[in-house]
Amino acid sequence: MDEDNQKTNEKVDRKVIETEISMGPVHPAALEPYRVRLFVEDEIIKDAEITVGVNHRGVERIMEGLPVEKANSLTEKICGICSNSHIWNSCMVAEKALNIEVPERAQYIRIIMEELERMHSHMLYLAHGCEVLGHETLSMRMFYIRETVMELLRMIGGNRVQYGAPIIGGVRPRCELDEMRIQKLKEGMDTVEEKMTEFADRFVSDPMIMSRITGIGTLSQKDAIKLGTSGPTLRATGVEKDLRRDMTVYDPFEFDVITQDDGDVKSNLLVRVFEILESVKIIRQAVAGLPEGKITNRSWEMQDAPITKSYIEVPRGTLYHSYALQDGRVRHSVIRTPSITNIGAMQYACIGQHVTDAQLSIVQCDPCFTCTDRAVKIIRLDK
Amino acid sequence: MTVINSVIAVIGTFLVAFFIALWLPGLERKFVQARIQQRVGPPVSSPGFMAPIKFFFKETIKPESPMPRLYNALPIISILSVAFILLFMMPQMYTFAAFAGLIAVVGLLKIEEVIYMFMGSLSKSVLSLKMPFPDIVKGAKHPDAPRSFLEELSTKRAFRMIAFGSFPLYIALFVPVVMAKSLYLSDIVAYQQVHGPVLFTLAGVLGAVVFFVGYMVLLNEYPFSILKAKADVIEGPLLEYASKSRAYVYISRGFLMVVLASLFSTLFLGIPPNIFDWHSIVTLIVVLVFPVIMAAVSAFSPIFTYRQFYPVVLGSSILGVLAIVATFI
Repeated sequence: MDEDNQKTNEKVDRKVIETEISMGPVHPAALEPYRVRLFVEDEIIKDAEITVGVNHRGVERIMEGLPVEKANSLTEKICGICSNSHIWNSCMVAEKALNIEVPERAQYIRIIMEELERMHSHMLYLAHGCEVLGHETLSMRMFYIRETVMELLRMIGGNRVQYGAPIIGGVRPRCELDEMRIQKLKEGMDTVEEKMTEFADRFVSDPMIMSRITGIGTLSQKDAIKLGTSGPTLRATGVEKDLRRDMTVYDPFEFDVITQDDGDVKSNLLVRVFEILESVKIIRQAVAGLPEGKITNRSWEMQDAPITKSYIEVPRGTLYHSYALQDGRVRHSVIRTPSITNIGAMQYACIGQHVTDAQLSIVQCDPCFTCTDRAVKIIRLDK
Repeated sequence: MTVINSVIAVIGTFLVAFFIALWLPGLERKFVQARIQQRVGPPVSSPGFMAPIKFFFKETIKPESPMPRLYNALPIISILSVAFILLFMMPQMYTFAAFAGLIAVVGLLKIEEVIYMFMGSLSKSVLSLKMPFPDIVKGAKHPDAPRSFLEELSTKRAFRMIAFGSFPLYIALFVPVVMAKSLYLSDIVAYQQVHGPVLFTLAGVLGAVVFFVGYMVLLNEYPFSILKAKADVIEGPLLEYASKSRAYVYISRGFLMVVLASLFSTLFLGIPPNIFDWHSIVTLIVVLVFPVIMAAVSAFSPIFTYRQFYPVVLGSSILGVLAIVATFI
């Protein structure tokens, strides 16, 4: 008996974890591959470890030495959800490096595309969140609402996923907005606003759902800042930081920076719901004030440029692109997506939660693993 | 002649129940959940009827289990335990008094529950610990922690379900017992033929509500499906079932739906399943209505974790106790 007690005390002293439960990289609740190790005691998570890196395609390495136009197109392939954000930011790097002035009409169309993308990304997040909650009906309802946005993106860009709208100096001619498209955009925004409002009302008035998401996966504001989170994940902890406020292209538009205070799953979901409505507001303003003029500036010349950086606010947070130009080709390309820090922070959000809430706590930051897997692993076989 | 009639009635009832059981999952998914979710849904024959047929003809795969034969036999044991409940619910079998009583029914339902624990502890799928992934590397957290399969988590959950999850169902079963003052099904049916159905009393209504909660818990249906929550344990104890065994799992679930609804009809309406009695049309209606209500409830519910599960079970159990108290009024 004494021996048993002694062993137990030793375990307590050494902080031995009762059990480890590992999930992934292949798991039905995960949209994309990643590994999570949960250290649990009586189904309560005491510690967690999330590992990414199983989805690496080496986009930056492939970009190296490519003509800048081709490299920009390649960035669109980084992510299927925020493809426009990547190509837009990549084009902005070139425009900044080469001092290219983008026509105002093109800027407006770029913003319309970006906000449509933000809407469909947030809607996908909400649908997936409902699925992880086990609420298939609301998940499917959200996918129906998302269809309106997807069809608008297809109408403008020609594709539902990779629209290829921005090019260096403006947007592609096929993305020009004529009267018919503008009318459809206006109708689409009315539909989305009405349906999203209904969805939000239904969502917050369901006590079962609120019980599942309130106080789950809480990340404190201090931790969120310390761990470098950005975007809606940071704003869900009450920090009023939206990079769109610092982007000059957004200056003509009025919109609110949505924040919530609790940093839990509920706050994360609500931030995104309200951001969709803010995007509707921005698109309406862009459509109403769409300037006349050309949509592409082709009067620019290629020249060498040092490493140039660009930050923009994308659906998940702050996106960074940088590269240098040499003989019209891309050099030293670096891309950093917001999910890398957001996912890391979720290791802490999991702690203290029930195992069933682990996936919910992780997906609350809207992780995108395809975007995130940027690291290059070099295996030296000779050593 | 009477013996032959009885044999025909038992076999006939059994076959009809079996046939209906094959269509209930389709009814649930096609006509309720798919309608609510504004989608076309699967063909009505697909989930319960065609899927088991398909699985019967699939290549047999040996499950990742320390005792694969026992693991594969468990769904058959489950079907048998449920079939015995149906068998002894039929009036022709009331002569086997020891079996045609509530104690036997509770015992057989417990077998059905315990089987999930065996399934969970015998399943060792690739989806967790066996996944070829370099976890224990330099810098990894807690490299010495004992590692567990996902299904072991299901086993613990199955144990909790036995301990408290199905409690409301068993309380509800005893409402008619207290009213009829007998544990035997024959007495309970006879009592209702004289005094009218238990369902038409206050205690009966409360008991019926509690029974329905227990029905959903025992079937592991949303929101009470923590045993096989997709967010963590995926299919839980059923993860390793493939081919014929998977078919048996599907059949077992459909059959349990029929049997529990027939049990309700017997205990709360006084109408046991019997193809030679036209009153059994009521049993058929109950068998069809229960999955419809269940599907509607589950379509509008997220999965409950213990934080939601405990209050629901506690509330239902209190309601069940009130129902029993109400029988004395």
